[in-house]
Amino acid sequence: MALRIGIREGIRTITRNASLFLLSLLVTSISLFLLSLFAFVTVNLYHFLNILDEKIEIIAFLEENADYKALRSNIIKINGVREVIYVSSDQALKDLQTELQDTEEVLSVFEANPLPASLRIKLHSKFRNALGLEEISSKVMLLRGIRETIYGGELVDQLKRITSVITGFDIALLLIIIFSVVFVIFQTIKLTIFARATEIDIMKLVGASHSFIAIPFTFEGIVQGTLGGLIAFILTVITDRIAISFLSNIYFPQAYFFLGSMVCGLIFGTLGSSIALRKFLK
Amino acid sequence: MITFDNVTKVYQKDWVALQDISFFIDKGEFVFINGTTGAGKSTLLKMIYKDEEPTKGTVKVLDQNLRILKKKNIPKLRRKIGVIFQDFKLLQDRTLDENVAFALEVTDTPPRDMRKQMLEILTYLRLSHKKFSFPYQLSGGEQQKVAIARALVRDPYILLADEPTGNLDEKSSQEIIDVLLDINYKGTTVLMATHNLKLVKRVKKRMLRIEDGKLASDK
Repeated sequence: MALRIGIREGIRTITRNASLFLLSLLVTSISLFLLSLFAFVTVNLYHFLNILDEKIEIIAFLEENADYKALRSNIIKINGVREVIYVSSDQALKDLQTELQDTEEVLSVFEANPLPASLRIKLHSKFRNALGLEEISSKVMLLRGIRETIYGGELVDQLKRITSVITGFDIALLLIIIFSVVFVIFQTIKLTIFARATEIDIMKLVGASHSFIAIPFTFEGIVQGTLGGLIAFILTVITDRIAISFLSNIYFPQAYFFLGSMVCGLIFGTLGSSIALRKFLK
Repeated sequence: MITFDNVTKVYQKDWVALQDISFFIDKGEFVFINGTTGAGKSTLLKMIYKDEEPTKGTVKVLDQNLRILKKKNIPKLRRKIGVIFQDFKLLQDRTLDENVAFALEVTDTPPRDMRKQMLEILTYLRLSHKKFSFPYQLSGGEQQKVAIARALVRDPYILLADEPTGNLDEKSSQEIIDVLLDINYKGTTVLMATHNLKLVKRVKKRMLRIEDGKLASDK
């Protein structure tokens, strides 16, 4: 009965104080959208860095008539090697032609295929640094049939350093944004509850239990939080659509974003109203 | 029914609102709490419905020592006490009807009983023809009657009135006093805080006079 009346009271206060509710909802939605937008940028940053990291590899060029199968099976046994891909000289030429579509005449000066066959050596993430690359490369070079190896070396370490600075900065910014969003949402909910201090006083005066007083406000907090989360999600989807038209390879796991926005909204809304109410119910 | 035993209330370490107040109020009494503004009348009333705690001493209401009354039982105590104020404390976005029903809803009163109790109290206070009006559409006297209706609809043992005529003209004030006297005549204990000594003298009921936080007289 108390829950039914509480929810009815919650709906009544939302409809009767529509402007206050909408204003508060707007602030909540914008705050959650900011958080979602930042998560969107962060997810894509990590996605991009992951793609870059995946590209770190050693290319071992083979001597003519080298037994690539034997070499491949030997290299895969080296600690830190994840995968070895054979690229024949014909395949290498095709790849180059694809990359240099508009400059076919450059290749036409060669009578025969000048590109050697190679092995692309993919590494485990732990070895994708200058030391790991050097160590594996020197082991590969000891094998008969390998003409030369190339890898990023120092450049890879520089890339790693830049990546860690970017991720550190990103985490710090994320914490600041989370703190600001939580603060803004809590303060907004607090203001809407403060605006109804008389109502709470009267409820207490006529003998309403704490749970009876809390239900309508908590209900309002839940509605505000989840609606805010839903609006924030819709705004993020729109942002994704706009971003796709400018950039390729945008990563947007919709289900996780939907769930995240709703859960954040629900938690912030419920906690915000409960914390603000606690002050009145002391 | 109400006992104050050496009650002292000190705010912010050194501001004494009430000092060594002792009195007993029996069932069915009508008592004025008189004193100038800031004398401690409201603090005294607040202690009866446990909105304030005494710094020292004991307050007993309806055979309960409020010092040991658990927090979760405060709503139960308040359901037995009606309170009205100078500023009426009505919900402006609700009709007269809804303002009164509010007091019944919090106690899970069944809808049929609620309608019956509402009809009785609104008829008694001659407000039934205005039950769909909002507070701002009513005069000050009528608003105070709505507050009285809300306080009485649950048939409380005690009615506390904190300067109920403070915002009203003489005619409306008299009307409210008449209502309070009638309620008391029907058996409810009434405590009314007022600074209006003229009014107290006219009504001729027991008066506790508070001066500078102390009980100056009880007659």
